[in-house]
Amino acid sequence: MTEVCCNVGAIVPNFKMETYEPSKGDFGEISLETQMANKKWTLLFFYPADFTFV
Amino acid sequence: MGAEVITVSTDTKFVHLAWQRDEKDLANVKFPMGSDGGGKLARMFGVYDEATSLALRGTFIINPEGKLLNAEVNYYNLGRNIDELMRKFKANLYLQKHETKACPSKWKEEGDKTLTPSVKLVGRVHEALE
Repeated sequence: MTEVCCNVGAIVPNFKMETYEPSKGDFGEISLETQMANKKWTLLFFYPADFTFV
Repeated sequence: MGAEVITVSTDTKFVHLAWQRDEKDLANVKFPMGSDGGGKLARMFGVYDEATSLALRGTFIINPEGKLLNAEVNYYNLGRNIDELMRKFKANLYLQKHETKACPSKWKEEGDKTLTPSVKLVGRVHEALE
């Protein structure tokens, strides 16, 4: 079981996951480290399941 | 704006592909669709529902230094308002540049009234926002 990582105001530990990237029509991978290295903000948008309304 | 929206569900990247290709409402989607098989990331953010093995509707804004600045979680049956998400995001950008300011609830964009927390403001918020 993974512990909840962070309250608001805390530093988020690195994470990575596989992605589908519609802009490229290809699979990819994304990590918080890469986002930070590129000086980007990250907006995570969780939803229950594909093929349902978001 | 130097930001990336990443949508995340417990579906595989293959299902993401199929859904994005199939659903006309998603034809213009440009953001990466993350696959959180097993819900590890959803658990990290406290939005994993053990009963259903699905992620609740959680929205999290992380700044370029890796700090979590906003968290919002809705149950399955309530969609999110993208205007409110953008309001929070714009406020974060503004506050990063203006560290002594605070954005009140009605703040929508740069130029709107902000507050400067100080001794003078205590008990005088109403006047400050007039």
